[in-house]
Amino acid sequence: MRGLFRWSSKWWPGVVPLVLFWVIAAWSDTTAVEADLAAKAASAVKNIVLDKVKMSADGRDIDFEAEAFSEEGRHGALTAVADAPGVRLVNDGTRLVPEAKPFVWSAEREVAKITLSGNAPLPAVKGKLMDVARDQIKGIEISDQMGLARGAPVNFADAAALLLGQLGKLKDGKVAISDSAVSLSGMARDLGGREAIAAALKNLPQGFSVAANDVKAPPYIFYANKDPVAVTLTLSGYVPDENVHAIVLGSSSRKFFSEKVVDNLKTSVGAPAGFVNAVIPALGVLSRLSTGTLVVSDREVKISGDALYEAAAAQIHAGLAKEFPKEWQVTADISVRPAPAPVDASVCQQLFSDLLSKTKIRFLTGRATLDSDSTGLLDHLVETALRCPNATIEIAGHTDSDGEGAANQSLSERRAQAVLDYFVKAGLPADRFTAIGYGSTKPVASNDTDDGKAQNRRIEFLVR
Amino acid sequence: MAYMIAFHWGWLLGCLVLGFCMGWVAVVTRARSVSKRWMIALSVLAAALVAMSVLQVVPGRFGYWLDLLLLMFVPYLVGCGIGSQLRAWVVMRSMARG
Repeated sequence: MRGLFRWSSKWWPGVVPLVLFWVIAAWSDTTAVEADLAAKAASAVKNIVLDKVKMSADGRDIDFEAEAFSEEGRHGALTAVADAPGVRLVNDGTRLVPEAKPFVWSAEREVAKITLSGNAPLPAVKGKLMDVARDQIKGIEISDQMGLARGAPVNFADAAALLLGQLGKLKDGKVAISDSAVSLSGMARDLGGREAIAAALKNLPQGFSVAANDVKAPPYIFYANKDPVAVTLTLSGYVPDENVHAIVLGSSSRKFFSEKVVDNLKTSVGAPAGFVNAVIPALGVLSRLSTGTLVVSDREVKISGDALYEAAAAQIHAGLAKEFPKEWQVTADISVRPAPAPVDASVCQQLFSDLLSKTKIRFLTGRATLDSDSTGLLDHLVETALRCPNATIEIAGHTDSDGEGAANQSLSERRAQAVLDYFVKAGLPADRFTAIGYGSTKPVASNDTDDGKAQNRRIEFLVR
Repeated sequence: MAYMIAFHWGWLLGCLVLGFCMGWVAVVTRARSVSKRWMIALSVLAAALVAMSVLQVVPGRFGYWLDLLLLMFVPYLVGCGIGSQLRAWVVMRSMARG
């Protein structure tokens, strides 16, 4: 041992080449060591969710910059880098991702482009939302302008994915989340798209609420055209369901007694409220026109055509405000068709008989109130009466044999009078008409069958 | 440490060989010995450098270079020790024969 100590005093000359070795080693290996350590440190944090990671080595010290999404994540990343083999010190340049308040996210659709913007809570969520957007709307350009931020509401990703699904139903528009409030705007792609979106929004994750749903839909169109040449009533456009479809068809066949009803209607959701209550009176107006068109677009009704005589046009205009539901806008562009040439009494009688052979004047059951379905027929009868201005006309009321004779007599008189009143209101002189009730005394068919009774309940016109 | 050895093993082996040669020569050389005072001074310097390395007070590349220097010194000294010991043994055997 003493020898070793003595010899060691002569070991110093070797230090010169040793230092030379050291200088060369430091010269050649420093950058290689730094690159290797930076790579090792980067791989140590690759499974930790971080944003804006910057890793560089200074000797064996790592300069580590990153944004973490939680305090635990930040500590975990620092520990992982410090524990990487070969790392001496970690210069901590990490911080937490900024917190967004309110946490806002949005997706906007233009014709051929979707832009996602606002905040996403994690890079994975950001990627997922991009995938959802791609899946929902195939082949569209998607622009990612989302940043990352903390403070997202619970179930944010599910809510955003659901909203992206709704964006697929829009032609253009925007869906947005602000904290837990959801808002939508734009134009639905299809009729009923607005309703489909409203239904889907019921599945929003718990905690989210719809602050604004301003999605508009294409107009809900119903169209009817009365063609006097082809003698058809053509119905097209949409009705809300089969039930309403049946109601519209039934009402049309009663009101348009001489026209063939051509049914091109389709069913679709998205009808405005009060659709039936607006369409039925509108068809009633159309039935009073010789030729005309009815267009219902959302809550806007437009009727145009020719009334049969002057007073009818005035009555139609006066009735518009009363007959349609509130919040509906009705415009009527009604002109009066030129009066047909006068005819003599016998032709007049023939015309009355022809009209009444197609249908008959209807009243409310057991009462002397004219059914609104008969207004079109009454207008045609008035027009006929106008063609023979010199003839006097007896309006005869008949009932079936049900009930007491006196009651039937009274009902037949009152019904004949109701028709007479309609004629007088139409501008015809009252002295040309007499209203007579015959009760059940002049049946034209057997009162033993329902069909026979229906034939016996009638109004007849006798031209003298 | 393990990383440093694994990364620089070639250089460390070189230092061991260098130390062995120096130790081999030191036994018979007439070169001037380092005085005791110098030995103490150098020991203090070495201790100070080791302390700086252990406490990691030297930053960045300088810290790495310091660690590398100290690490290279270890095989050198070990090589010197083995070389001197072996040479002394060889010399003693040849003297005994002679």
